[in-house]
Amino acid sequence: MRHEIWLAALTDELRRHGVGPDLAGHVVAEAAGHLRDSGEAPLRAFGPPDTYAAAVADSVGGPALARSVPAGPVRLRAVDITKRYGRRTVLSGVSLTVHAGQVAAVVGANGSGKSTFLGICAGLVGADAGRVELHGTVGYCPQAGGTADFLQAGEHFALIGAGRGVPREAAVRDGARRAAALDWAPGDAQARHLSGGTRQKLNLVLAGLGDPDVLLLDEPYQGFDRGTYLDFWHEVWRWRDAGRAVVVVTHLLNQLDRVDVVLDLSAGSSGVAA
Amino acid sequence: MDVDRRAQWLRGVLDLCVLGLLARGDSYGYELAQSLQATGLGAIQGGTLYPVLLRLQRSGLVTVYWREGGGGPARKYYRISPAGVGVLREASGQWAAFAGGVGAILSERTAR
Amino acid sequence: MVAEMTLRETARRRGVLVLLLVLPLAFYLARRGDHLGQSIRFVCLGLSWALATAALFVGSAARSLEPRLRLSGYRTHQLFLGRLLALWALGVALSAPYFVLILVDQQNVRYAAIAVIMLLGVLVAPLFGLAVSALLPRDLEGMLVLLMVVGLQMILDPAGSASRFLPFWYSREIGTYAIDHTSADYFDRGLLHGAVTAVLLLAVVAVAFGIRLRRRPHVRIVGGLS
Repeated sequence: MRHEIWLAALTDELRRHGVGPDLAGHVVAEAAGHLRDSGEAPLRAFGPPDTYAAAVADSVGGPALARSVPAGPVRLRAVDITKRYGRRTVLSGVSLTVHAGQVAAVVGANGSGKSTFLGICAGLVGADAGRVELHGTVGYCPQAGGTADFLQAGEHFALIGAGRGVPREAAVRDGARRAAALDWAPGDAQARHLSGGTRQKLNLVLAGLGDPDVLLLDEPYQGFDRGTYLDFWHEVWRWRDAGRAVVVVTHLLNQLDRVDVVLDLSAGSSGVAA
Repeated sequence: MDVDRRAQWLRGVLDLCVLGLLARGDSYGYELAQSLQATGLGAIQGGTLYPVLLRLQRSGLVTVYWREGGGGPARKYYRISPAGVGVLREASGQWAAFAGGVGAILSERTAR
Repeated sequence: MVAEMTLRETARRRGVLVLLLVLPLAFYLARRGDHLGQSIRFVCLGLSWALATAALFVGSAARSLEPRLRLSGYRTHQLFLGRLLALWALGVALSAPYFVLILVDQQNVRYAAIAVIMLLGVLVAPLFGLAVSALLPRDLEGMLVLLMVVGLQMILDPAGSASRFLPFWYSREIGTYAIDHTSADYFDRGLLHGAVTAVLLLAVVAVAFGIRLRRRPHVRIVGGLS
């Protein structure tokens, strides 16, 4: 009976550590078999569920060696980024390099400095130490905000497009096409009348407008339903395959097996990209 | 024997030992743990062994399949891949040289 | 493009627009009974206040969008000049009916001088509102500052030296010239004050925007935009 409790806890912890359901099922079944065969107490054989789940996640979390795509030139290089808010050090010596055709995930608990790090990469937030090199144009999608309440989606497309030198018609067309990829047909509603999820779609479309070389996305899927969430990742893979460098801040880790670089900012550790 | 030290030594070579055992034939986790203990490497906990197996699987050095056990639920079996055989061959040569070096130094010290 | 979008945005805030239009009217009517000249002074200050408030809202509404626009390749000066252009256009549209009203309703005043006050108001008030919004991040604080400045401007004796440091002093000074038919000194002083204020405020806006939207020094862009 104690096995059951431990195994159930392990299932939860594996999910929490971003291990996909299939693999988690295998890991739990294997552990159950081991406990049955050996008759050992689970704590003695495997240790606490969270520790073991972390070890499992660690073993599978790195980039898949099977998918060794030749990396393009460096698009984003952040070196030794340090950021303090008052006396609290949020980021300490964090480095990340992303090449063209790569997706990087920035993960970590709430308050671990994920958004701050992305803001520093975009040059919107100052850093106390370190430097960032950006090669090419940048598209940035904030967690919230970043849209004008009283403008329609098409007007947003035109406005952002103009900054990138895209003519109005082309920008509006391009925006509508990208919106369709997220299962959204932008009408003439003003941004303030859009639902949270739809507004984030608008935000995401704006980030990709004009095909910037580097995409910095800060948990852009808030309010997305399950289907749109998957659409979002497909859009990310498309960007990657088109040779963009994509950085996604996320706390949902079950896509980790499909990204090329993982930067873990947990526990205030000085993260270095895997 | 100092348990900590043995655990440290083992950490560096456990994946190779597992590959070596799998080179003898397919096996599953608990059986591998028993074989390792029988070889005199001490008790290997599941919490140590399975992450190593996952890493080997991840890097393509072993493949896995599930096989029904005698009456019990299915077991996850591991099989060494050709890449694993290659790594094992290369590493055993390196290990022999390394262990030889260590041995030479240590025996010289005790002989004096 | 920035100017156009700002106008579109503002045009959709119907409630605010109506208030903007009505507020100077209220100022005008409030003093029309007792002192005709005073009502002109009040309508000019009312217009300035309305425009400054509009600028304040435009500035704070754009705050969350601006970093993104900057990243998409806009220069900082394009951003604030675009907003100003829209606000100046709005100011002309807002002031014109009041000028016509004064033309019809009032006699024996210097209309040309009143036109100058209004034009200076159109120039200065949006600059003032945008400067306040750039310096004070929250709407409420900005509103209070505007209220305080316009209130002081009405209360303080324009001849006193403290009053000259307020941004709309030119309005009182040229107003005196236009209504009470004083010497041209008043007009010249007012014009100079308005021009200097406009230049100073523009500098404040440019610097404040420049600091807020600056490219942080740790970032180096290779082969991208600005």
